[in-house]
Amino acid sequence: MNLAKLKPGQKGRITSIGSIGPLKRRLMDMGVLVGEDVKVLKVAPMGDPIEVSIKSYNLSLRKKEAEGIAVEVAG
Amino acid sequence: MSTQLKYKEEEETAGSAPATARTITVAVAGNPNSGKSTLINAIAGTRLHVGNWAGVTVEKKEALFEFGGRKIRLVDLPGTYSLSPYSQEEIVARDYLVHERPDLIVNVVDATNLERNLYLTVQIMELGIPVVMALNIYDEAQEKGYRIDVKGIEEMLGIAVVPTSATKKTGLDELLSRALAVADSPTGSAPRKLNYGEDVETAVDYVAEALERNYPSLLERYPKRWLLLKIMEQDSQVLEKVNLADQGFLDEALHHLKRAHGEDIESIMADVRYSLASGLTREILEKPELRQTELTEKIDRIVLNRFLGIPIFMLAMWLLFKLTFDLSAPYGDWLRAMTEGPFKRWASAILTPLGAPDWTVSLVNDGVIAGVGSVIVFVPVIFAMMFFITFLEGSGYMARAAFVMDRTMHSIGLHGKSFIPMLLGFGCNVPGIYATRTLENPKDKVLTALLVPLMSCGARLPVYVLFVGIFFPNNSGTVIWSLYIIGILLAVFMGLIFKRTLFRGEAPMFIMELPPYRMPSFSSLCVHTWEKGKHFLFKAGTYIFAVSVLVWFLLNLPWGVEHKRDSYLGQAGAAVAPIFQPVGFGTWEAASSLITGVIAKEIVVGTMGEIYAPKHGEEKKEIPTLKEDLKEIVTSFGEASVKAMKTLLYLPQPEEKEEDQGGLKLAIGGAFTPLTAYAFMVFVLLYMPCVVAIAAMRQEFGTWKWAAVGLLYQTALAWGAALIVYQGGRLLGLGG
Repeated sequence: MNLAKLKPGQKGRITSIGSIGPLKRRLMDMGVLVGEDVKVLKVAPMGDPIEVSIKSYNLSLRKKEAEGIAVEVAG
Repeated sequence: MSTQLKYKEEEETAGSAPATARTITVAVAGNPNSGKSTLINAIAGTRLHVGNWAGVTVEKKEALFEFGGRKIRLVDLPGTYSLSPYSQEEIVARDYLVHERPDLIVNVVDATNLERNLYLTVQIMELGIPVVMALNIYDEAQEKGYRIDVKGIEEMLGIAVVPTSATKKTGLDELLSRALAVADSPTGSAPRKLNYGEDVETAVDYVAEALERNYPSLLERYPKRWLLLKIMEQDSQVLEKVNLADQGFLDEALHHLKRAHGEDIESIMADVRYSLASGLTREILEKPELRQTELTEKIDRIVLNRFLGIPIFMLAMWLLFKLTFDLSAPYGDWLRAMTEGPFKRWASAILTPLGAPDWTVSLVNDGVIAGVGSVIVFVPVIFAMMFFITFLEGSGYMARAAFVMDRTMHSIGLHGKSFIPMLLGFGCNVPGIYATRTLENPKDKVLTALLVPLMSCGARLPVYVLFVGIFFPNNSGTVIWSLYIIGILLAVFMGLIFKRTLFRGEAPMFIMELPPYRMPSFSSLCVHTWEKGKHFLFKAGTYIFAVSVLVWFLLNLPWGVEHKRDSYLGQAGAAVAPIFQPVGFGTWEAASSLITGVIAKEIVVGTMGEIYAPKHGEEKKEIPTLKEDLKEIVTSFGEASVKAMKTLLYLPQPEEKEEDQGGLKLAIGGAFTPLTAYAFMVFVLLYMPCVVAIAAMRQEFGTWKWAAVGLLYQTALAWGAALIVYQGGRLLGLGG
């Protein structure tokens, strides 16, 4: 399961981050870390990007980037 | 290396001066959306000086002022989430902190979003520079029922913490007093060294030993802990600078750490720092049990709605322009009337009795005043535009716009963030080009910068306003709007072409915070608008003034030239005019205006004024007295204000008598038809960017290559588009 597949309202816990280099570092700087809880809030009107809630703030990222973030669904 | 050594010397001389005479340098660092900009505006106000960081074009704001009898230099660092070496903002911020070593860092922290903000604080504390935390947006945190243990933060981090609200201007004096106290305290003001856990600290010690043994001078040149951590993290930028001959010890130091954590070192460090930030947040923050649905959530349900998102976006953009134009137009008219009437009369009244020859009076009136006038007239519209764009940014909607637009921007190979430079481009292409710096990938930057000039900037507006006022007075808004749309559509078109030719490859990342909606404070908006508007004014002031005078000379040389057509400018215009024959305006007048418009597009209007305007002083009417002039200026300003309000509220207006048209409008009315006027406006919209924009591109990318690409493709595009408009219009029987 990855973050891009979660539906709005679904929550998950990050199990691994597959991206590398600057993308990975940027994600981590923004608080996207293994073990972190994440909730998908919205999908943009045209289907991409998505908005998630993490570390009690809202972050947007493209589906392609979210695909690299593995999650286990929690509730 | 040399810069760092030089810096050391400066520090020593500075240190020997008496403490109270010394200027205290305070660097302000913080996350984007932490209210940092508002805080700086509230503290420094109009004393802010806006410039650029040396070598790069990230905006640098500085202010020098006195507080408590002490001189303080405030340096605003770019807003960053981290101090990693991946974006230019981060590199600028950390290079400043490491190499310039300010006396103090004010770390602006969003009290409603502590954890992520503290992640930056943890990194800032590694530098060993005294830190004072501005716990900003504190009022909002309290309203949300957050209980923050301010003393607790102070104790745990060993830094001073001052709750502030930049929008309400509370806590600012205390922040400065505490900052002064910390800067003056001789010892113990450095923040506490945070414990990064046994594994990391062991590795740090290992690296420290190795460095002390082999590279002792390095440890003196950089903040020690920061250097150790960066070398350990294998920070590419730092490793390149310190140029270690043998990195073998690093592998040994990291060996155990990596095995224990099973991750790469950057992940381990991000984890460690975030753990500290989370741990601290848990200790000092108490949130209410019951969480209410927040305003931002409610707004986003509508604004980012699947069906409403795009219409709302379009509506916001339409509102932006409606407000900008309707509010500012009457004031523009007022300024025009002022420069054309009283100012010229006063200049003549002063110069003629002094025995100035006719040509001097003409130079002052038709060169200097007319030229400057043509700029000043558009100050209201540009300020209004800047005001509302700043509002969009400050309110948080700009990020939503990028979110809604990313799919579209992405499909033409751009980033949702490219939308912001593009939008700024509507104000002026030059800051738009500079704003491409927010994009991390150089490909994104270049492509965006190449497309920004297709956004119709404020400087092109004078041309539209002039022509639309003559040919399309009844649907001026629609016609101007259509030009903006043409620019956008062609940007999409060119984006697709560039993506398939010059910029093949993968499009990079889109990772962006959607900040909570906030009402920006009015005074901060004004300061910001003034800063940006001032830039335009100065740019316009210098370039346009110089060019206006130059044009006057081109028009009046060779000496004693009888007809404008025989002047240097007229000759040049006549030479290139045939090129414009197929597109509907192959006259020397139009061609000459377009030539000078290369300097800045609003100059097209200035030149047309010079060429078409009847000779000054032919119609000698009764000259009003100075007193009458002054009275007229004041009353007409009042009338303009009333008119602006009425238009805004859609109240009926008294019919205007079209008396004050001026010779220029009459002359242009005779020289163009609605169709050729439209083709001309399309050409002005698209043809080569002004020299300032070209210079910006040159500066931005360190090569003329992209500026040249921009110049050539745009001019070709302009001619092609004008051709389609003119010839197409004729085929449809719209007249020639």
